[in-house]
Amino acid sequence: MKERILINPVTRIEGHARISIYVDDEGRVQTAQFHVVEFRGFEKFCEGRPFYEMPGLMARICGICPVSHVLASAKAGDAILGVQVPPPAAKARRLMNYGQVLQSHALSFFHLSSPDLLLGMDADPAIRNIFGLAAEDEEFARRGIRLRQFGQYIIEVLGGKRIHPSWGVPGGVLKTLTAEERGQIASWIPEAYETMEIAFGRFKPVLDRFTDEILHIGNFPSLFMGTVDDDGNADFYEGRLRFVDAEGNTVADGLNPARYQTFLAEASEEWSFMKFPYYKAMGYPAGMYRVGPLARCNVVDAMGTSAADRELREFRQRQGVVRNETFLYHLARLIEMLHCVEKIEELVADPDLLGEQIRVKAGRNNNTGVGSCEAPRGTLFHHYEVDDDGLIVRANLLIATAQNNLAMNRAVEQAARRFVTPGRLSEGMLNRVESAIRCYDPCLSCSTHALGHMPMVVELRHVSGELLDRLDRS
Amino acid sequence: MPQRMPAMTTLLIAIGNSLRRDDGAAHRAVAWMSLPAGVRLRSVHQLTPELAQEISGFDEVIFVDAATVGGPGSSLEELEGSGARPALGHAGSPAQVVDLARRLYGFQGRALVCSIPGTDFGAGEGLSPTAANAAADAARLLVDHLERARAGGRP
Repeated sequence: MKERILINPVTRIEGHARISIYVDDEGRVQTAQFHVVEFRGFEKFCEGRPFYEMPGLMARICGICPVSHVLASAKAGDAILGVQVPPPAAKARRLMNYGQVLQSHALSFFHLSSPDLLLGMDADPAIRNIFGLAAEDEEFARRGIRLRQFGQYIIEVLGGKRIHPSWGVPGGVLKTLTAEERGQIASWIPEAYETMEIAFGRFKPVLDRFTDEILHIGNFPSLFMGTVDDDGNADFYEGRLRFVDAEGNTVADGLNPARYQTFLAEASEEWSFMKFPYYKAMGYPAGMYRVGPLARCNVVDAMGTSAADRELREFRQRQGVVRNETFLYHLARLIEMLHCVEKIEELVADPDLLGEQIRVKAGRNNNTGVGSCEAPRGTLFHHYEVDDDGLIVRANLLIATAQNNLAMNRAVEQAARRFVTPGRLSEGMLNRVESAIRCYDPCLSCSTHALGHMPMVVELRHVSGELLDRLDRS
Repeated sequence: MPQRMPAMTTLLIAIGNSLRRDDGAAHRAVAWMSLPAGVRLRSVHQLTPELAQEISGFDEVIFVDAATVGGPGSSLEELEGSGARPALGHAGSPAQVVDLARRLYGFQGRALVCSIPGTDFGAGEGLSPTAANAAADAARLLVDHLERARAGGRP
């Protein structure tokens, strides 16, 4: 007899999704699928719009990582203009991107994942949330909120608002910092360092309690991809792409993001609206690769900032240079948050940031432009083709969450095999399966281009459709 | 000389996405209002945890949001229910944010919700006639409430 366990929708992620777990006659998990069940189609409805409008339009894809879309879009616009943006604009873009990664990671770590990590996977779901966390440690919860506010403050000061800032434009930015605003940003930095120290102090000892989860939630070999600078350090704004394999061997290096279509391809499955990108040279699905915090920590030679590099060295000493365990995305996220604080400190001390030349103007000089950057969840590509009047003929957005799609499916299947026993459904069991997804902090709004979230319903069904069991978290 | 009572402070939070038609009704409603002293407006796409701290600095918070049910007119009611639900995603509900404000920042003020019924939440700009009328109705309700609250009366 075959059964299907349905987790619908998955909670504490952005967007609509569900998980189906199929079991055989003996009740053993055979396979699992992570379905994305929403569709928006930004790529289609921006056709016919002028390319210089695109950063403002693309910011609307997502309320969590609009800055990444603004930056990738503005960079695609730079390529269509055929210009190099002035240093003050490039540095302001970098600053906003670090603010964006910091606020997004803070939300993921402190508000969405810490309840699992600090209260335990089997904790009562009624308290396994930010409120339970607040009851356990008010100061920790407050610090998480403040750290996110810091990142959002940077976005608001530069972009005029926290969400959907239409600030990056082809050729530069619309505003940079005043000396007073720069001082305000600098005043947050000591508290941000303190919060990071507390976060590492709370999380690292807890890791030992999650040995089973580390080993069985998405621990599998894959490729990893991320952007590095000329010295091999992490670079969230520009650089070349590097692939490493599960043993840390460099598979490809120095790849130009503008030529992404020569090494990446996208497959589709009828059961999901989210595409399945893969590394072209290895084919589908063998070319599965991962992006985002863990991938970046795996591909770089170093982060390029002292405190984050100390943490990265410790991270690598635990088991080796390359870590395959999905659960360690959480720790990688912490390392990146620390790196962001260090880079923000470095940038606000840079006199270029107050420079007055923040935009260059030009007409359309090219009919194609690709912009990429490292978004919180991984590498983001915007690719536009325009006609001679600069109107969009075709747009392709390759989103970080989608690039992790194959890996998320593999992680769910592995977690289900280890933790799910049909006939004995339990919250903790299903929470572990869900947590395989949450490690990637997927943003389905971005990857399918939709928004919203719903309470969770878990259904156990016979393959014939008969409902055998049901858990409702609504 | 009699001591002057400190002015009541209100945080007005308009929620919604103006690119999803009636979902942007709150932004239309507050745009029509002339805000009295002591009222601060915050327009947001969605509610996020850090708003909890901001709320705690006010005597009162009013969430203005579009609703898929109710109507035909708008309503202004006390916020009911607890925010302590199993999930808090990338965006929260008014009850969740107020609950956080009470637990983490000691917020002791009132929380109200102004609901504006809408019928069209598809992609695009502009409000349906139902939502446009209800947004005007909401603006009147809010102005009336804010004036009465500042005059010392109950809404």
